[in-house]
Amino acid sequence: MPSLEACVEVHDVHKSFKRGSEVLDVLNGLNLTVNQGEFVALMGPSGSGKTTLLNLIAGLDRPTTGSIRVRGEEISSMSEGQLASWRTRSLGFVFQFYHLLPVLSAFRNVELPLLLLPLSGSQRREQVRNALDIVGLSDRMWHRPGQLSGGQQQRVGIARAIVTDPALIVADEPTGDLDAKSADEILNLLVELKNSLDKTIVMVTHDPRAAERADRLVHLEKGRLATQ
Amino acid sequence: MFSISGPILFAAAPWQVFGGSSPILQGIFAATGFLLLVLLFIGKVPLSYNLMNLKTRWVTTLFMVGSFMLVIGVQIGLLAFVNGMYSMTESSGQPGNVMIMSEGSTDEAFSNLGFADATEIETQEGVERDEAGLPMVSRETYLGISQQLTDRKTGLSKRRFLQVRGVDGPAMSAKVHGLKLDTGGDWFSDSGVREINAAGDTAIEAMLGAAIARELGNDRSDEDLAKAKRTDRLDVGDTFQIGDRVWYVTGVFESSGTVYDSEIWTRQSQVGPLFGKSTYTTFCVRAKPGFRKDQRTALIAERKKSAEEAYQEGVKLKQADKTAPTPKRQSVRTEYTEQEWGAELLQHFFATEYKQAAVSPQVEQAYFANLSATNVQFLGMAILVALIMSLGGLFGIMNTMFAAISQRTKDIGVLRLLGFKRWQILVSFLLESIVLSLIGGAIGCALGSLCDGFTANSIVTGGPGGGGKFVVLRLTVDASTIAVGMLLALFMGFFGGLIPSLNAMRLSALKALR
Amino acid sequence: MKFLILVFENIARNPVRTILTSLGTMMLVLVVTLVFTVLTTLDKVTTEKSANIKAIVTEKWQNPSLMPYSYAAGLSDGAADPNDPNAIHPQDSMTWGFFVGSTESNPAKRGYENLFFSFIMEAEKARTMLDNIDSLPDEQARPLIEAIKKMKEFRNGVIVGEGRLNKLKKRIGDRITVYGRNYRDVNLELEIVGTFPKETAQYTDSAVINRDFFETELDTYKAAHNNKPHPLADKTLSLVWLRVPDRISFNKMTEQILTAPSFSNPAVKCETSSTGISSFLDAYRDIIWGVRWLLAPACMAVLALVISNAISISVRERRTEFAVLKVLGFLPWQILTLVLSEALLIGTLSGLLSAALAYGVINGVWGGLPFPIAFFPKFAVPINCLWWGAAMGAVTAFAGSFIPAWSARGVRVSDVFAKVA
Repeated sequence: MPSLEACVEVHDVHKSFKRGSEVLDVLNGLNLTVNQGEFVALMGPSGSGKTTLLNLIAGLDRPTTGSIRVRGEEISSMSEGQLASWRTRSLGFVFQFYHLLPVLSAFRNVELPLLLLPLSGSQRREQVRNALDIVGLSDRMWHRPGQLSGGQQQRVGIARAIVTDPALIVADEPTGDLDAKSADEILNLLVELKNSLDKTIVMVTHDPRAAERADRLVHLEKGRLATQ
Repeated sequence: MFSISGPILFAAAPWQVFGGSSPILQGIFAATGFLLLVLLFIGKVPLSYNLMNLKTRWVTTLFMVGSFMLVIGVQIGLLAFVNGMYSMTESSGQPGNVMIMSEGSTDEAFSNLGFADATEIETQEGVERDEAGLPMVSRETYLGISQQLTDRKTGLSKRRFLQVRGVDGPAMSAKVHGLKLDTGGDWFSDSGVREINAAGDTAIEAMLGAAIARELGNDRSDEDLAKAKRTDRLDVGDTFQIGDRVWYVTGVFESSGTVYDSEIWTRQSQVGPLFGKSTYTTFCVRAKPGFRKDQRTALIAERKKSAEEAYQEGVKLKQADKTAPTPKRQSVRTEYTEQEWGAELLQHFFATEYKQAAVSPQVEQAYFANLSATNVQFLGMAILVALIMSLGGLFGIMNTMFAAISQRTKDIGVLRLLGFKRWQILVSFLLESIVLSLIGGAIGCALGSLCDGFTANSIVTGGPGGGGKFVVLRLTVDASTIAVGMLLALFMGFFGGLIPSLNAMRLSALKALR
Repeated sequence: MKFLILVFENIARNPVRTILTSLGTMMLVLVVTLVFTVLTTLDKVTTEKSANIKAIVTEKWQNPSLMPYSYAAGLSDGAADPNDPNAIHPQDSMTWGFFVGSTESNPAKRGYENLFFSFIMEAEKARTMLDNIDSLPDEQARPLIEAIKKMKEFRNGVIVGEGRLNKLKKRIGDRITVYGRNYRDVNLELEIVGTFPKETAQYTDSAVINRDFFETELDTYKAAHNNKPHPLADKTLSLVWLRVPDRISFNKMTEQILTAPSFSNPAVKCETSSTGISSFLDAYRDIIWGVRWLLAPACMAVLALVISNAISISVRERRTEFAVLKVLGFLPWQILTLVLSEALLIGTLSGLLSAALAYGVINGVWGGLPFPIAFFPKFAVPINCLWWGAAMGAVTAFAGSFIPAWSARGVRVSDVFAKVA
């Protein structure tokens, strides 16, 4: 159940990109609030700025102007080093193409972010097993990505996203590369994470069926919310 | 002769540094080990990631390990050769010996001393006496000669250079030079000649060094070899030919790892009529260890003063002429063993006070140290070749690392996204490059070490105007050779991986993930 | 030919990789070029000639060879009996002694920079008998011809090679004092009258002084030392060079010399210069073997690995492309040829460039490769190193890239596109 406490606060954000001599304004004074425990889907046509917004919320990029706060932390003014540490502790990212390290096993892939935290070996192992348990892949933890199906790989990706117990999960087209059945399983998982672990989820998607599973649907058009 | 003397002296310096387990080498090794540990410790990206990638791209890994293996293997071989040369020249001088040649001689081959000179020198106070009270002086006529022979394999006539040393008292000479006869051998007789068959033919008696015994043994025909006592070398009772004279082996010296292993010793009285040199060339004298003990401090003080004067003169010259070479303070050695002190003081005595004959005395160890001019040149060449080859390998690994990074751009993006810092990415790829080079380097060292113990011919000279001694030296791979090989591998891995790793570090997470 | 554009494009697509592969190739070809420079030069000087032979007469036994100067006249004429009309006379001759010294008077400061190495000989023979100088056309030998004229004028004249002049910081016209090292206490006051032709880099560190001047100086020494001759006064002749037209003349002349009674104490030997050098090099045979059969092949193997590595990486990255080319109709052998051509182009051009730089820099700047084999001052990189370098690059590139090229040829369209879809 989403609380009324804000998790993500995007306030009057502008984002421009330079393409040669041209300046492209992708986000134009966007405002968005996502409450804690809320599952928000971002939709919009190609070029609407949804991926750009996601990257800003994930601390991968900085707005040209405006501010972004995540759980009270002003991430738009953090330095690169601070953002890196922040991402480890506070963010889980799920990719369309999973982006697992192909030479590492599922276990090791999930363990990666924990290596940056001051945890002992046994603590890390416990957290990894928990995460893989949650996504239902305990029996495959030593398999490498090449030995897993698309759906299984995405579940490993989700396990990696939640292993540090971040408050916020951002997902970029998490079902874009999956068949209907696997997509459904993934979406169920995301909903479960929201419900039982109170995770806040911001998801970019083209798929209306995926969007249906969210608590709230937000449309972007020309760099602003459709309702703005 | 090298035209770039500066780099050669520089090239020689590391060898003095690396020769034996020098503290500087140990220090470099320790520092490198420490650096590696630090990298491993601070690197948060798991090393298993790098190792698994090396395993997945096993073909590339194999090529790179193969290249490193060859480069380092060759380097070990080259250094083993130079090591062998240095071991030979350094061990050839006995501590306590002074070599006396006639004045003006730059080498034994040019020296001429008379019989009277010998008796005068033997009576000097600083000369050590043995248990029987005899002066420890070896009277010698040294000659480099050329022997004509027919090559067994090609049938062509060729010449070989031999070192012949005519001595008066073989037992005393061997004692002075610290040589021992192998079992079954004996000194040659007073006449130096013996009858070898019923027809009354005579042969010149000789004692051989272990290496020349092997070399001359290779001249034997298959029939002779079948009948021989030993097939690996000439032995007591065997004969060989120089010119139209037959020579008979009375004994073979135990291998000493010195230039004497390549010498043929015979009676001094035979050398004159055979080769046209009847005078002595060298008196090798063992000094009394305690000779003029009270003058040791004065000697050092005098040497320091000369070195300082030479330096100051050099400074003045430099001030007057900017293009003059930069003066260097010559370091004066102050620590010697008791035996070495004796030699230093005795050499000083003969050089400054002895007036009965015009002589040129040299501490034997210094004489042989000077023969290493060739060593320096070969070392320079070895280092040059190693550096060029390692640059080739370095560019190879740089290529590999650039490719690896471009194939793993997404991995880098993920790692950055997960929170790994830029420098941690740098450390990860740098370690990968270093691990690759160390594996190749270790195999290369093992491969190169196979040459340890092999012998090779060479000539050592003291530079222009000096005679050359044909020597058979032993390729020696020791701890310092391996250390240099591994350091070279590390150098290639580090610098080959540095630029690609810096590139990897600079990738932005977003761009990497697109 | 139209595929050449494709080859160039592929090489240019990853300039960093191409440059690194080239640089690696160049380094390794450089080592092999240096090795072959030394080996081919040694092979050339040790190969027996059948005509225009130079013979060397030296002391029979002792090394270094030291004969009395009184031998010079007889030996220079091949020990020919004046009463024998069939005796062989050499076409030309040259006697050599060596005077080694230093321009530095203080023995403690003597070093390589102030070293002086000279041939004691008849100056005019430098033009007609010295190796490589004797075959120079007059225009190139002009500086030496002028210098020889001056040597006749100035008995204490000296011809000094450019390299040595630079190190001693002297010019033509300067005077120098050389303090003898092999002839102790014999110091020569010399006037620099000329230098060797630029084309003969091997003499750049050497010098020539007049024989009769030197003999006079030894007489001066004797007069100054209570009529006691210098210890080496009867050992000033080291070699006598004799030119003969063919082997038959050489053999006959050798017999003349060996049977002549005047040259028996010390006894002498006569051999061709190539035999003499071969014998000398025999001591280095292990080093030469190692360099020829271990070092050079090792370099070429590393070279093949470096190129092979680069091409393998390139092929792996382009599997989709090769699949596409096949869809478009390219045949497997054409894909094989494409990859091989890329490797051959990089290897050949890099090898050629490396050899050309070696030739230009080593010969032009250093005057030759200094390799520490005794009296050989420097080894000039021969011009045909250019084609060895190219050939080496090509052969190792071919060897190294064959397997990756074969793999490229075998790319299966179905495999590739299944993954991509």
